[in-house]
Parts: sequence; C-alpha cells; structure tokens
Amino acid sequence: MSDGHLFNSISLGGRGGTNPGQLRVHSGGIVWKKQGGGKAVEVDNSDVVALTWMKVPRTNQLGVKIKDGLYYKFTGFRDQDVASLTSFFQSTFGITPEEKQLSVSGKNWGEVDLNGNMLTFLVGSKQAFEVSLADVAQTQMQGKNDVILEFHVDDTTGANEKDSLMEISFHIPNSNTQFVGDENRP
Amino acid sequence: GSMDNRGGVKPSGELIAYKSVNDLPPPRDLMIQVDQKREAILLPIYGSMVPFHVAMIKSVSSQQDTNRSCYIRIIFNVPGTAFNPHDTNSLKFQGSIYVKEVSFRSKDPRHISEVVQLIKTLRRQVTSRESEKAERAT
Repeated sequence: MSDGHLFNSISLGGRGGTNPGQLRVHSGGIVWKKQGGGKAVEVDNSDVVALTWMKVPRTNQLGVKIKDGLYYKFTGFRDQDVASLTSFFQSTFGITPEEKQLSVSGKNWGEVDLNGNMLTFLVGSKQAFEVSLADVAQTQMQGKNDVILEFHVDDTTGANEKDSLMEISFHIPNSNTQFVGDENRP
Repeated sequence: GSMDNRGGVKPSGELIAYKSVNDLPPPRDLMIQVDQKREAILLPIYGSMVPFHVAMIKSVSSQQDTNRSCYIRIIFNVPGTAFNPHDTNSLKFQGSIYVKEVSFRSKDPRHISEVVQLIKTLRRQVTSRESEKAERAT
C-alpha cells in the first residue's frame, strides 16, 4: 500500500520509557516499527476504537486505543502533522481524534480515571500522567485510605529509561466518594 | 538512607510549576530531573516527564542495595498528616485523590544522591520563603 503518511521519528511510549521508530498511517491501519528492527506494532483500522491528540513538551502525542483495551502512545508529530492526520483519520477511519490536555501545574491532587487498562491521574480535568494496570504486579491497601500499586520489575524489555517507576501510592481521603467500597482498585 | 522530615510546607493552591506545556525543559534522558528555576521535579512515568512542584513534597530519601541498584522514595503532602493539620487544601479540594508516594529504581547512585540533595535544598528554600510570606500576611 502506498497511500497514507510516513513519519520517520516517532517514538512509542510505555513502561520502560520510549523507543524511537517509524510510523506509517495508511487506509488499512497504523504500523510502527522500532528503529533498527525488533518490536513492531500493527493496528488494523477496524480495531481502532478511539484516537487522541495531546500537546506534550516540544511535540504532539497520538493516542491509539484498540478493541482489546490496549492503548498505544506515539510521540513526535509536528503541528502540521496533527492537522493532516486528523483529516486523514476522519476520512479513512471515520474517527475524529479527541483533544486531550496535559497538566503541567505540578500539583499532587486531582482525580483518578480508570478506563480499560489505563489509570489516568487528572489535575483540573487535564491529564497529569497515565499508567497501565497491566504492568501492576501487586495492589495493596495501606490503612483505610491508601492504595499502593507495585509495578513489575522487567529488565528484559529493553527499558531505556535511567530511573524506573517501581511503586506509586494514592491517598483517597474519606471525603472522596468515587471509589467507596472497592478495595481492589484505587 | 536519609530522611528529611522537616515538614511544614502547606501545599499551596497558588504554587504551580509550569503554566504551559512549552515551559517544560526540553525532554532529555528519561531520568528524574530537578528544575531549580521552576522549583519543580520531573519524574519519568511511562515515557513522559511528569512535573511536581517541590512544595508538594513532604520528604525524600534514598537507599542502595547490594545489587548496585539504588532507590529513591518521594513522599508528598496529603491531608490529615501530622505535618499539616490545618491543611486548607483538604477543604478546598474535597473529594480529590492525592499522589502520596512514588519510588524509583535507578542504575546511577550518584545521580540519585544529587537529586536527593537538590530536592532537599530547594524544598528548604521554598519552605522558608512560604512561611515568611505567611507570617507577613498575618
């Protein structure tokens, strides 16, 4: 297939950091290949359930959510790429990407949103960060108000970050009514 | 490990690290960074650098194991702890969920001890400035 758009420096983000690669968006779907071979991601357009754009420092991030709950995040799009890809997605996938905003205020209080495998921490309804519950090895309650998420330690997946998140805990005050009665999830 | 349990910083609703996405420092290696000018720390979470204002931090400590791995633990202020009994945020932002603690493993103990020192110094500066401000206001 020769239709579509090719982008040469798009990184795939996830647990372990980011990997540089090449992304092709064509009428049949989205294909990302890691630079130098190895990991590849192929998404059929019929499996895409939602697309998102988010402005991140110096660039743009495309979120691709697929049927089985997986959520890929590709970073490295210029503003003009966002415009051209948005119309391409609308005309060929029939999906209008949603715009998300990144919170950079540095506050540690907000809301938690659980959607599929993703846990999103929102500050003032903007996204501060996301983690995948699929990478959580263990969840623990500490006292009545704290939930600890422990992440898998995996040294084999080519993690390229220097510092790796091992644990994060959330404090849910009694005044919060969102997650009452569910001790397995924050 | 060392603990800095000085406490006393009330998370202030007005203290924010960055106003816009493009104010963040250019993305570098995915490692913990301290932005002294903005009084912020940036934590690598799932391939993104996530900022937290240093005034949100209650304590920071590090630990080294025999495996040449090094750990850093950052504890944030949450309502109802001993250090901020009159926390205005718990009233102002009722129903919020707080990030309470994060811990990271690092392959670089020197970098971690530098980060711990920078956070402690920065935190002390912000604490004394904010308490002076509060005193003047009363």
